[in-house]
Amino acid sequence: MSTQTDIESKLKSIFKKVLDIEETEIVPGAKLDESLDIDSTEMVEISVVIKKELGVSLKDNELKKTHSFNDIVGILKTKTS
Amino acid sequence: MEKIAITGLGIISPSGIDKRVFWANIKAGRSAVEKIERFDASLYPSRIAGQVRELDGYSNVSSRLLKKIDLFSHMALVASELCLEDAKINLSDENLKRVGIFMGNAIGGWLYAETELRDMYLEGREGVSPFMASAWFPAAPQGQISINYGIKGFSKTIVADRASSLMAIGYAARTIIRGKCDFILAGGMEAPVTPYALLCCNTSGMLTENNDHPQSAYRPFDKNRDGLAIAEGAGVLTLEPQSRIAKRGAHVYANIIGYGTTTDAVNRIEPNPDAKQLARAIKIALDDAGLGPKDIDYICADGAGSQIGDATETKAIKDAFGEYAKSVIVSAPKSIYGNMLGASGVLDVITTVLAMENEMVPPTINYETPDPACDLNYCLNKAQKKVIKNACIINRGRGGINCVLILQK
Repeated sequence: MSTQTDIESKLKSIFKKVLDIEETEIVPGAKLDESLDIDSTEMVEISVVIKKELGVSLKDNELKKTHSFNDIVGILKTKTS
Repeated sequence: MEKIAITGLGIISPSGIDKRVFWANIKAGRSAVEKIERFDASLYPSRIAGQVRELDGYSNVSSRLLKKIDLFSHMALVASELCLEDAKINLSDENLKRVGIFMGNAIGGWLYAETELRDMYLEGREGVSPFMASAWFPAAPQGQISINYGIKGFSKTIVADRASSLMAIGYAARTIIRGKCDFILAGGMEAPVTPYALLCCNTSGMLTENNDHPQSAYRPFDKNRDGLAIAEGAGVLTLEPQSRIAKRGAHVYANIIGYGTTTDAVNRIEPNPDAKQLARAIKIALDDAGLGPKDIDYICADGAGSQIGDATETKAIKDAFGEYAKSVIVSAPKSIYGNMLGASGVLDVITTVLAMENEMVPPTINYETPDPACDLNYCLNKAQKKVIKNACIINRGRGGINCVLILQK
């Protein structure tokens, strides 16, 4: 079982790699569209990398409900517990 | 037709990105065609190309965006930025709903597409990047330019093989005349130096196979020509109506004053041997410009470098220009940097306006042996001093596409 800190750290690393942004820009409450300017194709790429690196599949309807970095952490925490 | 001014230039080419460097290389007839080394092209019948070397030095595109777009969009973005700077247009002062983007290309973004197809083969469906959806298609550069600047006006992407960008420019000029846009960014981009795109170009049979001599392989109008050398690059122009340039005191490189286009309706690849439809396109463009053959000081030829292409182009010029055909000076300066396919037309326009500015005809290089089927007054191997007031630019494409633009200084 992964801790919240583990998941946050791994997700930050994925965000950094996919989006080419600094980790300092990824604060826990960061909004995916307003703060990080993530578009739909980037969201799909993030989900592909999550599956590859964390072994967790995120369904389309789950992705559509995510609005912030914390939302994704929440889903990952549920799925890995 | 009503005059439409060319007020800015953006060039991404194997012969240079800075317009002064580009012109110096064109004037000197210095070939930029080289062996392809960015991937193993050793088994391709044609493995030489004009390749852009210094794009990153001029690019302000973020690394995040670069992951999501193909090389042809990257070149179009940089060319657009250089063009707007050259035209001294600040888009924050413009009504962006009245600005248009007209771009041409022949093959789309294959560097991205083939990489992802390879990933699909190796890794399955999930190996394909989601960015593929928006990266490869021919209108992707138009979309990226519009997003980059917030441009929301009437815009088009033209796909018409090697005539694509010349057609985009002609269509853009007509669109301004119809009052649909205040001004337009017009041009084209092409990135064919990739394994699959190069293969497609090779199978068309239009490429030179003189791989041992890259710099002298592309030789339009020479008796021993055997096809063109491909090139990558982009070009963008700002096109504006006279009313606007008077208000803002813009520098005018030249005006577009005539445009004509026809189709052969004969063959999927080769031009019609009778060349009548190309001659008709030239006549339509001259009529549109209100000029006669004797008014034209320079013809910037398509110069496909194929036996039938150059012979039929010569025939069409004779048909359209009559007895004056032997006097008017003709050249194909793309022999210097390679044929940019869908972007070749905008580079022809840029070369011609720089020729007008510098009062010098750019050469066709690599000409050695005269061909009785190509017996016009070609500017061969060296630039020639000449005042050019009116110029005629010819582009053709597979599928029998003929396109002609008339420029006036």
